[in-house]
Amino acid sequence: MAEYLLTRPVLQSLESVAVRSGLHPDLVRRLAALGLLDCTTDKNGRLWFAPSTVHTLAWVQRLRAGLNLNYAAIGLVLDLLDRIDMLEAQVRSRRPWT
Amino acid sequence: MATDFYAALGVARDASQDEIQRAYRKLARQYHPDVNKSPGAEDRFKEVSEAYQVLSDPEQRRRYDRFGPDFRHVPDDFDARAAAGRPGGGRVRYARGGPGGFSGVGGGFEGIDIEDLFSGLFRGRGGGPVQGADQEAVLELPVEEAYRGGRRHLTLDGHEFDVAIPPGVTDGQRIRLARQGGHGSAGAPPGDLYLVVRIRPHPRYRLDGRDITVDLPVAPWEAALGATVPVATPSGDVKVRVPPGTSSGRRLRLRGEGMPNPNGKRGDLYAEVRIMVPKKLGKRERELFEELAAVSDFDPRRT
Repeated sequence: MAEYLLTRPVLQSLESVAVRSGLHPDLVRRLAALGLLDCTTDKNGRLWFAPSTVHTLAWVQRLRAGLNLNYAAIGLVLDLLDRIDMLEAQVRSRRPWT
Repeated sequence: MATDFYAALGVARDASQDEIQRAYRKLARQYHPDVNKSPGAEDRFKEVSEAYQVLSDPEQRRRYDRFGPDFRHVPDDFDARAAAGRPGGGRVRYARGGPGGFSGVGGGFEGIDIEDLFSGLFRGRGGGPVQGADQEAVLELPVEEAYRGGRRHLTLDGHEFDVAIPPGVTDGQRIRLARQGGHGSAGAPPGDLYLVVRIRPHPRYRLDGRDITVDLPVAPWEAALGATVPVATPSGDVKVRVPPGTSSGRRLRLRGEGMPNPNGKRGDLYAEVRIMVPKKLGKRERELFEELAAVSDFDPRRT
């Protein structure tokens, strides 16, 4: 029988996110300050990012390049897209299509 | 307005400028009156914006940390005066952490209007007056009240409203309270407040638009022989005729006994038959059922 270990979600450092996304660390830090990325600050002031951050960064880059949005606007767009996802899921679960 | 700007942004007192900005951006997106339609959102947005305006400016933040909510009333040269042995010239009072910090203070900053600080936030770059955002709140009503309509007094985020509920409102319908929404800027009119009606689930009445379905419990002999039985509707009991030979699940329609409709056809009421049997049979009842079982060749599983 396979064994499954309980693991904590692995947080990524600023440097690791920068390398994996190919962006300058300063830009990542700025996007974090704009509230576009899920992150926490530890006691030493270092930023730690959620595992999905690289994915989110790609999304941010696509929205910026494809729709010519500024970073502050992208924050709102991401929030609204999340909300639409949630509402659509609710609608689907309420009305099974026949 | 909050007196604690750090609490308003949900950050620690030693938060870095980046953390403050991060918290502010997220909250501003969440509570912007055009994104969040709940009536409390606009106040929360202003609160968050005021906190950010102060805490993002190192000089203002320093003064706020030092003097608390009354920091705007402390003269700029407070330290110089203190050094000269005239702390605030006797004109300045500051209450640490006290709420409503702008009253009764006779400093040089008297008459500062918080609204002035934010009027800019709602003004577009063009600068003209802009109408306030529309707001939405949920109004939960029991079936009976939705049926009757009438006036209702309600309090939403500290504001009181007298609402006229039209008879026969349906789930999801919006009641518009003109000019009761978010504030406009520069003298522009406020937005509207919409109350979205939610009909509270009722133990007896099931609503589908204006049609109402109720269960109609009947005895086996009433179902077999036919009967006229009372059924409860939101406007009181009405009689419904159960035709002979009615089985469970049959829906008897009572035309026009559903929810009223101010601009059209009333809904219908459906009484859904449920045949009930006594939980315990008396001696005689048992004999009669046994006799019926022996005599009848009815098989409900083979029709």
